[in-house]
Amino acid sequence: MTVPDSPAALAALAAIAAALGTNGGIGGATLLVPALVALGMAPVDAAPLGLVAVGGSSLAAASRQLRNNLVHHRLGVSIELPASAGAVVGALLSVGLPDRLLAGVLAGAALVGAVSGLTRTGVRNQPEAAFSGDSGGEWPGTLGGSYELDGAAVPYHARRLAPGLVASSVAGLVAGLSGVGGGFLKTPTLSELMHVPVRVAAATTSFTLGITATAGLAVFAGQGRIDADPAAAVLVGALAGGALGAVVQGRISPPVARRVAASLLVLVAVVVALRAWW
Amino acid sequence: MVSNDPRQGRFETAARLLRAAAVATGVLAATAVVLPEPVDHTLAVVAVAVVALVPVVRLTWLGIRWIRRGDRTFAWIPFAILAVISVGLVVTAA
Repeated sequence: MTVPDSPAALAALAAIAAALGTNGGIGGATLLVPALVALGMAPVDAAPLGLVAVGGSSLAAASRQLRNNLVHHRLGVSIELPASAGAVVGALLSVGLPDRLLAGVLAGAALVGAVSGLTRTGVRNQPEAAFSGDSGGEWPGTLGGSYELDGAAVPYHARRLAPGLVASSVAGLVAGLSGVGGGFLKTPTLSELMHVPVRVAAATTSFTLGITATAGLAVFAGQGRIDADPAAAVLVGALAGGALGAVVQGRISPPVARRVAASLLVLVAVVVALRAWW
Repeated sequence: MVSNDPRQGRFETAARLLRAAAVATGVLAATAVVLPEPVDHTLAVVAVAVVALVPVVRLTWLGIRWIRRGDRTFAWIPFAILAVISVGLVVTAA
């Protein structure tokens, strides 16, 4: 019995991937899908399992992230509209794409995300005394809000919406094609391109990844590509790992979260490249 | 941070429901892994279905909430996403 065939091993692998992925804001499947493929599972079978893991880890983290007022729903749905469209198109096209082409796109995008996260130091958005009575969260009718950092309110406002929407559609396309969720593109898009604080970016990305997963799974279900039995094992691991990742996420500083996410992205790029060309 | 913001705790009910959904999904999936056929397969299908449907419910809830509050800038977006997902289903089924 190989690892992809063993329910216990599948659950353990999904738990580790979800804990790391949620903590870094890159989703539960960014590490899981390449690992499954490296262990011998066909990409066409690994992609639906990846999106099940993405949905599971997003669900596991949702409650805590809502209570922490870290999710910006208006920003999330704004970037998710093109992402869902991309996910549907990607899932429809995924049957006939060469593996090496997809691997090159994945590895390149992951490295770009890692470099963008590592080239900036410090916290961009600083606490402001004028917002001391703000409980945190999104401001109705806007793409702005505030979040709590070291007991103080930090205001922010998303910038560069148009390029953010384009990048999000690419993330959705990659998610539909490969099943990796696309969080490793969305979180850097929100934090580096749109200047959203990284903790808000990670939580908002986690919210949107659940929707992306649903969009892709709807197409995969129609194609008859979802095997519910291994998916249940992946769900067990993804839910446990996602909950653990969310607990850690609220307790680490933004620069640390960025470095963790960037390190994970480099790891993903290496794994994907090795899989394609080794 | 001491807050007198009336928005504090506004997502408490949603947070509780999402936690309940996560626990229910976990129980369903874990039971599916340990039980014999054919019960395991049925529970696995239900668990995957719950994961896929929670974002649909959440989007619907957000859209209705923003319509009630007059947030016209954003209220249409959740329904547009649901339309995109529906198109994917229809195209695949066709």
